[in-house]
Amino acid sequence: MRYVYLAKSDLDALIQHLKKSHRVIAPVKKENLFILAEVQGAGEIALKYIPTILPPKKYFFPPVEKLGSFKMGDEKMNSVNMETQPTVLFGLHTCDIDGIECLETVFHYHPADPYYKKRRKSLVLIGYECMFPCDEYATCVTMDTHNPKAGYDIMITDAGDKYIIHMNSEIGEKLIGTCLAVSRTGNDADIKFELRRLREEKIKKFKTILDTEYTEIHDLFKQSYKAPAWKDVGKRCVSCGNCTTVCPTCYCFDIQDEVELNMETGERKRIWDSCQLEEFATVAGGENFREERSERQRHRYYRKFCYSIDKYNKFFCTGCGRCTRACVADIKLYETLNQLKKETNNV
Amino acid sequence: MSDKKKVRIAFFDFADCEGCQLQLTYLNLNFLGLLEHCEIVNFREAMSEASDEYDLVFVEGSIMRPHDEERVKKIRSIAKILVAYGACACTGGVNGLRRRFTDDEAKEIVYKDRPWTIEAGWPRPVHEVVKVDYYIHGCPTNNDETVKAVKSILLGKGYTPPDYSVCIECKFKENVCLFEKGQVCMGPVTRAGCGAWCTSSLNTCYGCRGLLSNPAEEGHMEILAKHGYTIDTLKQKFDLYNMCRLEAEKNG
Repeated sequence: MRYVYLAKSDLDALIQHLKKSHRVIAPVKKENLFILAEVQGAGEIALKYIPTILPPKKYFFPPVEKLGSFKMGDEKMNSVNMETQPTVLFGLHTCDIDGIECLETVFHYHPADPYYKKRRKSLVLIGYECMFPCDEYATCVTMDTHNPKAGYDIMITDAGDKYIIHMNSEIGEKLIGTCLAVSRTGNDADIKFELRRLREEKIKKFKTILDTEYTEIHDLFKQSYKAPAWKDVGKRCVSCGNCTTVCPTCYCFDIQDEVELNMETGERKRIWDSCQLEEFATVAGGENFREERSERQRHRYYRKFCYSIDKYNKFFCTGCGRCTRACVADIKLYETLNQLKKETNNV
Repeated sequence: MSDKKKVRIAFFDFADCEGCQLQLTYLNLNFLGLLEHCEIVNFREAMSEASDEYDLVFVEGSIMRPHDEERVKKIRSIAKILVAYGACACTGGVNGLRRRFTDDEAKEIVYKDRPWTIEAGWPRPVHEVVKVDYYIHGCPTNNDETVKAVKSILLGKGYTPPDYSVCIECKFKENVCLFEKGQVCMGPVTRAGCGAWCTSSLNTCYGCRGLLSNPAEEGHMEILAKHGYTIDTLKQKFDLYNMCRLEAEKNG
């Protein structure tokens, strides 16, 4: 049995159950937006939310992460004693679960990243299915991330008067299996049918705002390298780096060493970096491979829609819409893609 | 370390409020840690002794009058390394606003009915007068950055401040963007390194660390204009800490 029910009034009972063994992280309100933060009970959770300012990647790959320590003069760095805590990420949107799948692909690609690997092992993912579109900026339907598919341990779906809980992994089954609040009155086949009907209904509320189909996006980019759209985007961009910082799949980082006040020992850290920053593609001797803002923006889009397909056969855009919401210059991902489509049609 | 010769550090101030030097007195334990490796020989803010033998010099304030110019040149000739410390020294800071006026206008505004005036001078960041080796920006400077920079300079690696926008550090803290709240912010074109100090404390970014080396001024003007700000307000926002540089660029 992999599908069970939970009464809506028992959500806090579930959270308290999870808290016995795990720290629980969930979306909470911050002014008019949302962030992922630790919660003590269901009352603090904002289940109806638009994507959080930073995506869940901050728990897999923190903005600043200690990699090790060193002593001046030593040849080798000492590995870090990394402490992780069993943690549940609760209420993740399906687009963010897809984003985690992208990180999975990258950080487990040979050679696997040991820091990511260790953090990943301590994290349990509990999704909350989106029954409504977030806002006018999300492109999840085109990117096919609006329905739960894979990559989560537990998925919660709002079925009107109750929640449907899908256990999708061993840890998911273990956590729910010991939870007294759930009801095991249904059978898997019936609940699956119920979910199918819910999804047929919910899709009617979602609009597609991209003029290109999922299957055509890669081809579009193959023809768009010299498109005028990049100049337009470059002209408006101020290289603030918001789009990459908030992206659930951007994973570029810089490595910095800093000594302690004793001037003898120090720490090595990795810090999120961004391809939008002037210094990012500058190499020794001062040559900059992407000097223009238009080149840097184009690079970002190609990393999401073209190079990632070539290398991993996966889009690295989840359609969450964060880059569009966070852009101070109002550069909208869907507008750029629609402009590219128009421009290739005109050729 | 004790048998090693300690680096002799001196602080000098020119046209400024001395607020950046005052920041150093809040360093507490970090200050004591640094004193293991260096000796402070000139620091008007916190000691009365003074010496003219020093290796590493922190110059605070803008250079205004001819005798300031002479003084900073003499300091430069003694110092092995010179650090421009704080906004007034790095970019001219708010003193740059003086460049909007002629000598007479400035005196009229400041001294108006008083029977005496003193020389007004012409505000310049330190590098317009003598060679500067390193910069520690900010109004005031941020102690975390100062400690980081000093350690790095003492190690012989020097210090390069970030050349990316405050937005990077602001997003790390998951602040709700000020533009989202209908406020105006200089963050997107201002050099980071402060840890988004003001924007994380219910304030806005005034641009005290100066513009990025290659800011998208037009793009940012467009953003601000879209939020309903007039060209005049925009100019004031940019001028507050960047007047010296913007004026120099305008005059080629």
